[in-house]
Amino acid sequence: MPLEVEIPVKEVQRYMGYHGIVDIAPEMQEKINKAIEHLGTQSHPRIISKEYRITVSEKTVTLHAENEDVTFESEGLVRNLSGCCVAILLAATVGPACDMLVRRASITSAADAAVYQAAGAAAIEAFLDDYNDKLKASYEARGLFLRPRFSPGYGDLKLEHQKDWFRLLDITKQIGIELTDSLLMVPTKSVTAIIGIGIDKSKTGCTGCKGCNRHDTCEFSKERA
Amino acid sequence: MGLRERLGKEWLFCDGGTGSILQELGLKGGELPELWNLNRPEDIKNLNKGYFDAGSNIVNTNTFGANRFKFDNVTEIVTAAVKLCQEARKEAGREDDAYVAIDVGPTGKLLEPMGDLAFNDAVEVFKEIIKAGAEAGGDVVVIETMSDSYEAKAAVVAAHEVCDLPVIVTMVYDETGKLLTGGGVEGTVAMLEGLKVDAIGINCGFGPKQMLPIAERLVKCCSLPIVVNPNAGLPRTENGQTVYDVDPEEFAEIMGEIAKLGVHVMGGCCGTTPDHISTMINKVKALPFTEPVTKNFTYVTSFADCVEIGRKPVVIGERINPTGKKKLQQALRDNNIDYLLTEALNQEAAGADILDVNVGLPEIDEPVMMESVVLKIQSITNLPLQLDTTDIEALEKGLRIYNGKPMVNSVNGKVENIEAVMPLVAKYGGVLVGLPLDEDGIPATSEGRLAVAKRIYEAADKYGIPRKDIVIDGLAMTISSDPDSAIATLDTVKGVRDIYNGHSILGVSNISFGLPARELINSYFLAMAMQNGLSCAIINPCNGPMMASVRSFNALMNLDPKLEEFIGAYSDYVPGSGVAASSGAKASSASSNAVLTLAEAIERGVTGRAAEAMKEQLDSGRESLEIIDAELIPALDRVGKGYEAGTVFLPQLLMSADAAKAAFAVVKEAMSDKPRNVKGQVILATVKGDIHDIGKNIVKVMLENYGYDVIDLGKDVPPEVIVDCAIENNIEVVGLSALMTTTVASMEDTIKLLREKKPGTKVVVGGAVMTQEYADKIGADAYAKDAMGTVRYCDSVFGA
Repeated sequence: MPLEVEIPVKEVQRYMGYHGIVDIAPEMQEKINKAIEHLGTQSHPRIISKEYRITVSEKTVTLHAENEDVTFESEGLVRNLSGCCVAILLAATVGPACDMLVRRASITSAADAAVYQAAGAAAIEAFLDDYNDKLKASYEARGLFLRPRFSPGYGDLKLEHQKDWFRLLDITKQIGIELTDSLLMVPTKSVTAIIGIGIDKSKTGCTGCKGCNRHDTCEFSKERA
Repeated sequence: MGLRERLGKEWLFCDGGTGSILQELGLKGGELPELWNLNRPEDIKNLNKGYFDAGSNIVNTNTFGANRFKFDNVTEIVTAAVKLCQEARKEAGREDDAYVAIDVGPTGKLLEPMGDLAFNDAVEVFKEIIKAGAEAGGDVVVIETMSDSYEAKAAVVAAHEVCDLPVIVTMVYDETGKLLTGGGVEGTVAMLEGLKVDAIGINCGFGPKQMLPIAERLVKCCSLPIVVNPNAGLPRTENGQTVYDVDPEEFAEIMGEIAKLGVHVMGGCCGTTPDHISTMINKVKALPFTEPVTKNFTYVTSFADCVEIGRKPVVIGERINPTGKKKLQQALRDNNIDYLLTEALNQEAAGADILDVNVGLPEIDEPVMMESVVLKIQSITNLPLQLDTTDIEALEKGLRIYNGKPMVNSVNGKVENIEAVMPLVAKYGGVLVGLPLDEDGIPATSEGRLAVAKRIYEAADKYGIPRKDIVIDGLAMTISSDPDSAIATLDTVKGVRDIYNGHSILGVSNISFGLPARELINSYFLAMAMQNGLSCAIINPCNGPMMASVRSFNALMNLDPKLEEFIGAYSDYVPGSGVAASSGAKASSASSNAVLTLAEAIERGVTGRAAEAMKEQLDSGRESLEIIDAELIPALDRVGKGYEAGTVFLPQLLMSADAAKAAFAVVKEAMSDKPRNVKGQVILATVKGDIHDIGKNIVKVMLENYGYDVIDLGKDVPPEVIVDCAIENNIEVVGLSALMTTTVASMEDTIKLLREKKPGTKVVVGGAVMTQEYADKIGADAYAKDAMGTVRYCDSVFGA
């Protein structure tokens, strides 16, 4: 199953560290195009998601799972989900091929490895954005609105909560992502996230890079000129 | 009667779901179900009994996730589960015809090289579970819900090493018939048959309807009893509870359809209940039973690819073999695995189907090298491998660590050799090359060789290796010393096909040893051999005439549908130019770059031109050191300074680094017999727990370009390994990389251990989350914000 969504060239360039308008060498552009092509055909993206009832209080968000309540202490997540009583938990990956492409490239060329790395990051984001759009359409038809994606490790939501995602969604068995002891995901181009569902349309806007507490130092910030 | 005697002779039935039933009884989302073996034994016993009552012959113990990553009392939990299942069987009055199955699920970890669990550690994890289960009296090992063939292999090897119980393996495929790790049905079956399991099947993933086409594929390729255990359809959430959409009647109906395909053991998985199982049994029992049919496919597989031998000639790349290859010998002595990996990628690009791997050199530890090279090659290519060695220990290590069903080169007709090689192939599976020579040497005639081949086939029978998995070598030997040798070889190849209906192989280029224009003889000989039935050709796929011979043969014999491969390879062919396939990756801008100077080529990052320009300068008699100092380093510096000033972006820096590396490679080759001028030796490692190494790899390239000798310890490196290496090589500077805040802690541990065991060593740290403040806090000597920063720091330490 190939990727079936387009990997935006501009995003690949941004993940590579290009910002602003730059003149990209034709040799480099060729590498980027090739990486996009390979990832498009060799990826095998998979996603799992599940809807849960949630309770948002002043400083915590509690998710009501089967026979179990899970509580997240995070002001950032509280802000993101305030007013929601349902949220979607999800995990997605482009599959192991991307990591192999990076490994293959690393043997012969540091530049190629960086290109595949960036293209992989852009690929998982594009895949998730596409899924997000489909969710958005189906919920909006029911008068419901999606909040921006929020992930363990964002802001003050502890990375430790990856374990909750993995347990609740049975991610390893369902879509083949492993959580290592140091809380990293393999395949590396994988994402876990929560998406709030609310009735308030005004809160759907993506806060983008400004919503992140590291946005002024980040190499990849979209706001950077 | 034992289960082994009944499998494939009559209908047998497995049990159904566990998790959904336990959830109904109040199992919490985060609770480990296996704990109930100790805390709520009655519930578990009743769960088992429900299935014995329903008519299941094979009922799983509640041990799916009972591994040491979740429990520190695995033996206690497994033993309790087996006892409960035995009691349930007794209470159900089924002691005569039903079996207690030691249930083994995946560990939840991914195996190396994809993940972080070493294969042999995985074997140990499974051994602990299976040994406990067997000692408690389990009757059969059921390895299930495996979505990675490699992990399934680890579990099977474990089972066979701790008990003699029958082993059943069921895998999870997706709708396209792929495992999560990329393998397909046919390849996985080939691997499991090679491992000598007792039955093979599918479970979980989806309902019976979606499983039907996968079951069909299984029936086509599998020679063993086939097991099918689907879910009760697809899950959905209803009021916070998971429910499945296929009821017992519908389940039984579709299972009846699957039964007619010719499967042998049926049961259920998630969402199925004793009701589903008993309804299904009533339906299926009335249907006629067909015994398993032996298939005659010969497959060589990797975790993802499956190459069939016998359909059309298979190309085995010969380049990873040190015999007569000086550079490869040196790479092996220097532990320069990247050289071997580059050879692997080049042969793949040139059209190899399988790669021969031979790492035998008198001065290296071949078993250790074989293990590490197999793992590394499999981390970068899907191509299956041919393990080529005469060292039995190296063969065993390679067979064990290999992910898939490899080729093995080779066994010969000597009794001693057969007794050493065949038990290993029988244990791990493999397609075995048989050399028709014996205690009396190499028979000169084809009749003599075919007679030895016959004895090899008979020996294989004795060890339980199917004859279809034997490939006889025709033994090509040079015509320059024996004018009849090609004829004897071709007759042997033909005889293997016509008399034994078997497969053959040749190390083709041996035929021309000692002659000029070897590729002419080789490529014609190859064409003749293929016409005589040759199944596998060990050749250099990067050699144009050899691949031309293979592609032309396939085109002529209607083995290249629509001539796609031939046209794809030769659409740019220029007559009389020699036979070079268009690689598709020719540097399109080559001509416009031809005039760039070395410095310009490096600054612009044009790799091919940089190497060429360096060669031109060397050819013109200029001293290599002078070229490096006057042109190469200043060019790199200009790019590096631009990067530091923010006018050059990282990708451009990397392209320049690649170009400089290519130019250096030319120098290195030209000076291979002279001592190198090294500024200093530096260790680089991504610390334990962290698997990101792209930043570290960039630093490595830059340091090497600036004249440092880098010992690259890789990623996820424990502190002790780094410290031991620093002590052993008396290292002055260690560079550590970490991407995540969670792994900075192991950076700190590494620094502490270095301070204690080898004080005075300088430590420079870097990585995405690293800051000067962090670096100070964990006691590093320096923080480098990027690769150039590391170069500058090393220059300051070594006074360069």
